[in-house]
Amino acid sequence: MSDVPAVDAVGLTKTYGTLTAVDRLSVRVGQGKVYGVLGPNGAGKTTFLRMLFGLIRPDSGTLRVLGRTWQRDGIRALDGVAGFIESPKFYPGLTGRRNLRLLAGLDGATSPSRIDEVLETVDLRARAGDKAGGYSFGMRQRLGVAAALLRDPRLLVLDEPANGLDPAGIRDMRALVKRLAAGGLTVLLSSHDMGEVEEICDDVTIMRAGAVVYHGSIAALREKAPEQAHEIRTTDDGRTAMLATAAGLTVTPLDDGLAVRGAQPDIDALVAEVVAEGIALRALARRETPLEALFFMLTEPGAPAPEPATTGAAR
Amino acid sequence: MIPTTTTARTPGLRAALRWEIVKLAAQARSRALLAAALILPVVVVAVVNGQEQPPSDTIYGRLVHLSGYAMPLLMLAFAAQWVLPLLAAVVAGDIFASEDQHGTWKTLLTRSVSRTHVFWAKTLTAIGYNLLVLAVFAASTIAAGLLIIGTQPLTGLSGQTIAPAHALWLIIAAWATAIAPTIGFTALALLLSIRTRNAALGIAAPVVLGFTMQLLGSVGGLDLTRKFLLTTPFESWHGMFDQHPFTGPLATGLAVSAGWTLTCLAAAYVSLRRRDITEG
Repeated sequence: MSDVPAVDAVGLTKTYGTLTAVDRLSVRVGQGKVYGVLGPNGAGKTTFLRMLFGLIRPDSGTLRVLGRTWQRDGIRALDGVAGFIESPKFYPGLTGRRNLRLLAGLDGATSPSRIDEVLETVDLRARAGDKAGGYSFGMRQRLGVAAALLRDPRLLVLDEPANGLDPAGIRDMRALVKRLAAGGLTVLLSSHDMGEVEEICDDVTIMRAGAVVYHGSIAALREKAPEQAHEIRTTDDGRTAMLATAAGLTVTPLDDGLAVRGAQPDIDALVAEVVAEGIALRALARRETPLEALFFMLTEPGAPAPEPATTGAAR
Repeated sequence: MIPTTTTARTPGLRAALRWEIVKLAAQARSRALLAAALILPVVVVAVVNGQEQPPSDTIYGRLVHLSGYAMPLLMLAFAAQWVLPLLAAVVAGDIFASEDQHGTWKTLLTRSVSRTHVFWAKTLTAIGYNLLVLAVFAASTIAAGLLIIGTQPLTGLSGQTIAPAHALWLIIAAWATAIAPTIGFTALALLLSIRTRNAALGIAAPVVLGFTMQLLGSVGGLDLTRKFLLTTPFESWHGMFDQHPFTGPLATGLAVSAGWTLTCLAAAYVSLRRRDITEG
């Protein structure tokens, strides 16, 4: 595997009038990695990916994709790169297979058997003769992956690939990405779903309002995550809060109940103590995962940016 | 480290052109327009031939019952008012904007063809298609005129008689003079298609602009302005039907059409090259 980074962005900035869509973004994605770009809507993820594909020109900064730059190499900067931005779009009047054949033509043509192969990979071969205009959202997402695979990429860029899919579609899409990554492909995936990134990615960049608030490995991110929070409702929330605080747990009052954060054995002990005190437990549920909690802490407006954790995969 | 270089040739204009032609051929609208260019002239010629009163307010209108050669000239003069700008704009006004409408710019521009290739592929496809429509329209009109009305000698604009064989060549040449302004209107529609990103505007605006130019051209005292209007070259054939043919308007018409074409294409090209694809 080459040691040229799949993506090497330094100080990328893009503004639209007074809005800074991407603010001095620096990201390095090593080859063979599954890299997540995570952030809420409007964080600048898609703008970054559009810059990567040359659809948007950065105002400043440099961007190398598999060692190539748009300024120096023009369209050849996309050699070895494929993927889709937001939901993939196709010509509705043409069949899925016809769309793929034409797209392959734009890459220098490919054999019909290769088209069948990628259709098989994304489980669309049976519907390949239908017009793309009649495809469901999930089918269009999978056709988008097929269109990307036709380029035999070394770097696969997927923008919110599970967006708009039903749970089964999400499961299938994640399985597909994992399968492709297992084959050695570098995958750069954007998402606003921490769970998705946690499940699939090795490293992550978290963005908020165009700027990076974290980049590093998922493992390092886990270390920064707060403890698991639980939502508790009892017949006496006031007394329960006192018991929890006395046990060293972090308590946050909610509209209806309490959010209690702490290690699982301490939560278990609190529940036993509450019951022993004669307080009835009405509800106990896990809130967001620790990584989700950290994601919200990092990306909610006004949240302080923590010290960035850096690893070999990120600047 | 130097990136791995691939030896595969980057697909270029030919791949992009093939892509555009296949898409155009798959469009019902493009096929319908070609069919209309073939059939409608026959219907119009038959209807005009059946009328007792010829349309004498248009050039060659009063002669349509006397010679089949007059009919194509009447049709050319009439079509120049709005039909030819419309024919030029139907595909050209949509060809870039449809990528916005379908959200397919990112599909197209994330493959191995550059914006330059995409621009020229779409431009050449639109121009080629419009010239095909113009040729079909002209051939159908001439054939319908000669078959339905007859091959009587044609009366020239100075009152001279033009023999049928010569009249046929002159009519073909007259229709050929519409090529340059049609390309000009195609370029205008391409520019509007890129700038407005709206197919309806890309198609309608050139027609409205054509009408506006016709109106401006008919206003007295604007002779210099009139010379630079894109509709004026559509009338440059008149001199060929004079007793003593003159070609000055033909040369001016070619230059004006070329000026419009180059200006619109240059502006369109720069717009596409510099555009950030933030949607679609």
